[in-house]
Order: sequence, then structure tokens, then C-alpha cells
Amino acid sequence: MKLGFVAYKNMISKPLNMVLSLLLLVLSVSLVTFVLQLSKQLNGQMDKNINPVDMVVGAKGSPLQLVLSSVLHIDTPTGNVKLEEAEQIMNHPFVGSAIPVSYGDNYKGYRILGTEPEYLERYEAVLQEGRLFDTSFEIVAGNAVAQKLRLKIGDKIISSHGLAAAGGEAHEDNPYTIVGILEPSGTVVDQLLICNLESIWDAHDHGDEGHDEEEHHHDDDHDDEGHQHSEEEHDHAKEEEHHHDDEHDHDHDDEGHHEGAHDHDDEGHQHGEEEHDHAKEEEHHHDDEHDHDHGDEGHHEEAHDHDDEGHQHSEDEHDHAKEEEHQHDDAEHGHEEEKEITSLLVKFKNPIGLVQLPRFINENTNMQAALPGFEIQRLLGLLGSGVKTLNGIAIAILLVSGFSIFISLLKTIRERRQELALLRTYGLGTRKLLFLVLFEGLFLAFIGFLLGWLLGRLALILASKYIESGYGYVLQINGPDFVELLLLGVTLLIAIIAVFLASTSIFKLNISKILGDA
Amino acid sequence: MVKTDSLHFQYPGGESFNFPDIDLGAKSHLAILGPSGVGKTTLLHLLSGILPASSGTIFIGNTEITSLDRKALDKFRGAHVGLIFQKYHFVKSLNVEENLQLRQYYPGKIRQKERREAIAERLGLADYLKKKVTELSQGQQQRLSIALGLIHQPKVVFADEPTSNLDDTNCEKVLGLLKEEAGLCGSSLVIITHDQRVTQHFKKQIVL
Repeated sequence: MKLGFVAYKNMISKPLNMVLSLLLLVLSVSLVTFVLQLSKQLNGQMDKNINPVDMVVGAKGSPLQLVLSSVLHIDTPTGNVKLEEAEQIMNHPFVGSAIPVSYGDNYKGYRILGTEPEYLERYEAVLQEGRLFDTSFEIVAGNAVAQKLRLKIGDKIISSHGLAAAGGEAHEDNPYTIVGILEPSGTVVDQLLICNLESIWDAHDHGDEGHDEEEHHHDDDHDDEGHQHSEEEHDHAKEEEHHHDDEHDHDHDDEGHHEGAHDHDDEGHQHGEEEHDHAKEEEHHHDDEHDHDHGDEGHHEEAHDHDDEGHQHSEDEHDHAKEEEHQHDDAEHGHEEEKEITSLLVKFKNPIGLVQLPRFINENTNMQAALPGFEIQRLLGLLGSGVKTLNGIAIAILLVSGFSIFISLLKTIRERRQELALLRTYGLGTRKLLFLVLFEGLFLAFIGFLLGWLLGRLALILASKYIESGYGYVLQINGPDFVELLLLGVTLLIAIIAVFLASTSIFKLNISKILGDA
Repeated sequence: MVKTDSLHFQYPGGESFNFPDIDLGAKSHLAILGPSGVGKTTLLHLLSGILPASSGTIFIGNTEITSLDRKALDKFRGAHVGLIFQKYHFVKSLNVEENLQLRQYYPGKIRQKERREAIAERLGLADYLKKKVTELSQGQQQRLSIALGLIHQPKVVFADEPTSNLDDTNCEKVLGLLKEEAGLCGSSLVIITHDQRVTQHFKKQIVL
């Protein structure tokens, strides 16, 4: 019979007492470990995710949103930027490397990211099996995605429009093929399906002849302001499912008419644009019109001229077009400028870039530059005060729980005075009695810590599930780390202090009086 | 086995007692008689070393317990003194056998399972070893306290009013068991009581 056994028996003989003194301890330990793990993992994951990117260049909007969407992939993008404009940044002498990314589709809620193979190098993502994407519609799957969706090499997947799993139009005409699966990297790459930029552009071509042409038509809209006037009529006609090639022939052949149309345009432009959009959605066919368009050199020249004036004017429409990610590969003019990317992930060649480039971009271009390090630090600064507050509360609870252990031990010692006195007559010295109480206190503290730790991890698993469904991040469920072991030490120390404070009466035990009072 | 010399005890700011000298040989029995309030329990606590004497000496065997410090006294008591209290004291979270084991713990007789079983058998507790002490009847609790006083084969066992709450039949029985067990364990037996029924069972008596 060991003393520990007696202490243990004593403890479980009054389970309610034990539960009561454990409750606060469990609560505080679970709170501290949960908050610490969460903030540590989020910080760690953030660092891993943002370190490969010094600066993001994308459409104007909230810089934090740009970073969250383009680097961490947990928000919607601010919009698209023209590849041509982005290329000017890419060629800037301060830029070491710049990776264009483009996205807007998902497969079962996982983002499909069009980019260059260099993106994978940046994140040090290594292939587990298969190969990298060579051509359009080939996908390299992040490890977590592949595992979650049980993707194998050779699988064909159909993307859907938008970034949310539910809803969105499915791009059934252009299935992607999984050609590679990446090793787990512990970064955002795990959560992505990665393909080349062209796939994203092509996916929104829809492979539908009529629709294709429709998009050409859209080109003309922006380019050829003179066209607008007739466009209005044209749209109405389309709604009536009416083909009207001749009308267009007339439009483009007749220079004079065109000029005239131009005059009208400034007034009628906005109206025409709206009409046109409706038309697009209805996917009308009007092939002939376009054959004609492209054959007409003069028309193109003119269209180009108009474009510069009309650009700003049609900005709203442009955005709308971007959201739908319309691409216009086949257009003979405006080919490059119409290609769009969502953002550009820049790594500086020279630290001066960090000082000069963001300001340059923000002031002189239609794009904005955001520094992930800075933005995330700002965000975590907000979170950090929350974490501090929670930790403060948890530590206060821990102290209270130490006090409750003290009270509980004091109570047991008082209740068991007779037994302790009896043990003295059995030959156990005061030191052994102290051990008995100490053992009980430490046992309580240890059990409390263990249960609290497990509860904290359970909360982390639940949080992980929640975060995964919302943001695609997975939290690691690790064994105890150094800080938690430190917390265990603190907990045990508090218990020891409580024991010594509570057990002073053991030294003053009046056996004769306690046992003699019948 | 038990020898006292001019034993005196003074409660702080209270009563003071002078006790007659005692000289009890090995394996002999003694009854200390007297009405309530003459310091019977005080004497028993002095003899068993749970209350320090104000003056005078007590020898148990060859050890002068009045000169031992608290730690040594705890050890000595654990090994050589048995106590049977008027009110039964057990460790309630342990079962009958575990209580007996605990009593054997300090003297290091923990492995004497046979002894536990033998004494439980003799005292009619063999079937109750795994029971909680709180589940025992009054009589069983009394017999368990006798077992706890003697299981470690002390030099002397002190019993405080062991018969006060018992009817005549049970009084006879318990005194018989006490004497028999003390004899089997090779212990001297000292009983303090105001119960006159005890007198006829003890040749050696001291009246306070």
C-alpha cells in the first residue's frame, strides 16, 4: 500500500469535490492552450504564406483584401488588371521576379489558380507524383485538396465559376485534367488547384462559337464607339432572336455612316452598353457581323483611336466584363491589352523597391500595390490584442483555479483531520501526511491540466473544421509544445503553493483532542 | 512492558492530573477504572504518546517515550503501540482490507497477507475484506477497530472504553476477543473504562 494509492482513493471517494476544483483549472488550461495554439499556428501559417511575396500588385481597392485574396486565398479579389500594365511592373529594374496569378473559378470550393510554374518554386512546392502542367487545362493539385477530394492523376474535373463551392456556372466544355499532385508544403499551395494562366483565359472562352463571337462583339463595343449607336438597335434585335447581318455590313462599310454614329455615341454610349450586356447573357449568334468587322481595316484603325478616349468612360462596363473573365484571344487587335490577370506577386531584386515601387504604382497606375508583410502585421496587430485579452482572462482563471484548489485542499484536510490524526497513530509522520496532501494536490493539478489540454485540442479540432470549411486552412493538432509544458509547470507550482498554504494545520494537528473527542 | 514514574499532566490554563505509577509486565492485562472526568483518556493518550506529558517518565519496553521527539515518537507508536478508540476511526475511502494494510504500512509488515486474513477470520471479518468500512455494522466496526489495534503485533495495546455502548453479551464477547487477540499477538493490554462489568475480567486494576 503506497501513500499515492491512499491519496488517490481519498480523491475519488469525493468525486464531486474533485470535479468542482478541477472545473476552473480545466477551463483555464483549455483556454490558454487553445488561444496559444491558434495564434501560433495562424502566425506560422501566415508567415509561411506571405514570405514568398514582397508585394502584390492588383486592381485598386482594399490593400488588405488584395493580400488576403491573392496571397492567402481567403477573400474575393479586388478585380482584374490588364496584363499589359502588369508587364510594365514585371520589367521594372527593382523587381526580381513577378508571377502573374489569375483566378475566379473553383472546383468544389477549392480555388483554381492560373499562374506560372515559378509560383510553385516560390513556395518550394515539390511534386509528389505526376508532372507539372504543360498546356492549358492541366492541373497540379495541392496535397490537401487531392486528399480531401480523393483526386488522382488523370482525373478530369469540371470547374465552376466563382470562388464558392455552391452555385456558379459550370464550365463543362473545358474539363481540367489532374497531371500532378504536390507534396504537403504547409502553405496555402496545399489548398489550391494550380494550372497555367491560359487555362483561366480559355475556360472563359466557353468553346462556344456563338459566344466567342459575342465576346468579339463586346470588344468592338469598347473599341468602336461609333458602333454603339447601331448596337442599341442591334441588341433589341438580338433579344428577338433575330439575325441581321446586313445591318452590320452596312454599318462598317459605310464610313460616312460610321462617323455619324460617332457623334451619337457620346450621348448614347452608356445606354448602349447596358443593352449590350443583356445581350451577352443571352448568348446570341451573329457570326457574319464579325467576319465583316475584322475584314475592315479602316474600321480597326478607327476603333483603336476611339479606344483611348472611351477607356475611362467604359470603366464600369469593363469591370463587369472582368468579373465574367471574358477573354478575347482571337481578336486581331487589342490582343495583349485585353488579357487580364488578377494580380502580380512580386519579389524585389533590391530593397529600395520596397520603398519606391509601391508608391510609384499607387500614384502612377490604375493598379495598387500592397505589401503582404505590412498588411498582415496590421491584421495580426488587431488579432494580437484579442489574443492578449483572452490570455489575460485565461491566466486570471488559472490563478482563481489555483485558489480553488487551495480551498478544496483546505476543505479536505479539515474534513479528514480525524483520518490524518489516525494516520499519525499508525506511525506516519507529519512529512508523510504532507506528501499525502501534496500528492492529492499535484494529482488534481495534473489531471486538470491534462483534461484542459485535451479540451483545448478538441476545441482546436473544431476550430480547424470551421476554418477549413470557411477558408480552406487546416490547423495542425500537435503534441504539447514548450509553452504548454511551461504552463504545466506553472499549474503544478500553483498546486504546490496551494498545498503548502492549505496544510499548515497538519503540523499543528492535536491528535489527542481530535481522536479523544468521542 | 509499561512503566510510568510520577506522571503529571497539566492542560494549558486548565486541569492538572497526577497519575499513579504503573508497572505492567509483558503480555499482561490491566484495567484502569474511574468515573468520567478523572483523566482516564488523558492517561491513555499520555501512555500511547499522542499527548506529551508535562513531567514524569513513561517506558514502553525499554524505550523511554517521554524523551523521544515527535518524529521518533510517531515511528515508535506506529511499530509498537496499538490503539483502540472509543469512537471508531477508519480511513473511509479505503475498504476493510486496505485499512488493515494501511495499519501494517509503517511497521513494514505490509506483506503479511496471511496475518490479515487470520485476524479477519478470527474476528469474523473474512467475508467483509472488500467492503467499504461505512458498510459494516456497528459490531463489525468494533471488531475491525480491535483488528486495527493489534494487527501489527504491538508491545502494548490501549483500549478506550471498548465496552461502553455494548449490552452484557457483547461486552463479554468483546472483552474475550480483546484478551484472546492480545494474547495471540503477544501484546500487553491496557483498558480504561468506567464500566464496572469489566472489573471481573481483570485481575490487575488501577482505580483513578
